[in-house]
Amino acid sequence: MNEFWLKLGKNKIYNTLLKEPLTYIAGAVLLSIFQIAHLSVFNSGWGVTGTFANWGAWLYKLVGGDASSWSYFASESAQKTLSSGFMNDGGSIRNLGIIVGALVATLFASQFKFKKIKSWRQVIAAVLGGLLMGYGARLAGGCNIGALFTSIASLSLSGFVFGGFLLVGAFLGSKLLVKYFM
Amino acid sequence: MKEINLDCLGEACPIPLMKTEKKMEEMAVGDVIIVAIDHSCAMKNIPEWARKQGHNVEIEEVDDGEWEIIIEKTK
Repeated sequence: MNEFWLKLGKNKIYNTLLKEPLTYIAGAVLLSIFQIAHLSVFNSGWGVTGTFANWGAWLYKLVGGDASSWSYFASESAQKTLSSGFMNDGGSIRNLGIIVGALVATLFASQFKFKKIKSWRQVIAAVLGGLLMGYGARLAGGCNIGALFTSIASLSLSGFVFGGFLLVGAFLGSKLLVKYFM
Repeated sequence: MKEINLDCLGEACPIPLMKTEKKMEEMAVGDVIIVAIDHSCAMKNIPEWARKQGHNVEIEEVDDGEWEIIIEKTK
């Protein structure tokens, strides 16, 4: 049995398909094809973070809160999504697929690892960064998928505006990175 | 001919690349740096940068999800 795995690890097809990273171009082409397929099958563009607001509302409900009365969820479709639950929300299933898919891909490549946390700084930066990204994505009506990638693919001007400010944010972020982590 | 170890385990991109660039500035020609990483995108961007600079690069898979990038400064 052991020998089988050793042999598989040296197999060229296994390494090319499951272990070595795709080139940037191959990744870009695949993303484009899948987002076109998404648009044509579901009649809506691909997005990621809109769903997280629903996850937040459901988590809030678990601890006894009620987010469905908030104006953010006032529309009929948002009310319907919240009341029909996780398993009936396509966006939730899609995001779950991204997470499970990423896990499966690292397992296939035999690259799964629990990384140790190096410092409290990392924890604080990750929590602060996550909160800012989530909050910003809701204010901007999308993240770098919904508001940038999907918008530009649909030739929407908003995508380019979002992209411009994304660069400003990345510039400031990298300054902070150098200041606190180098 | 010095050998320098740089521990970047647990650090996310682009910090491993930035630390490698900084460290290599202080090194002399012929010195070797061994960068330990466990973030797969560093396995792509560090060798890419170093090869573009003209250095000799080798990647070794040390463990599941753990690599060592060995760079010899050539100029």
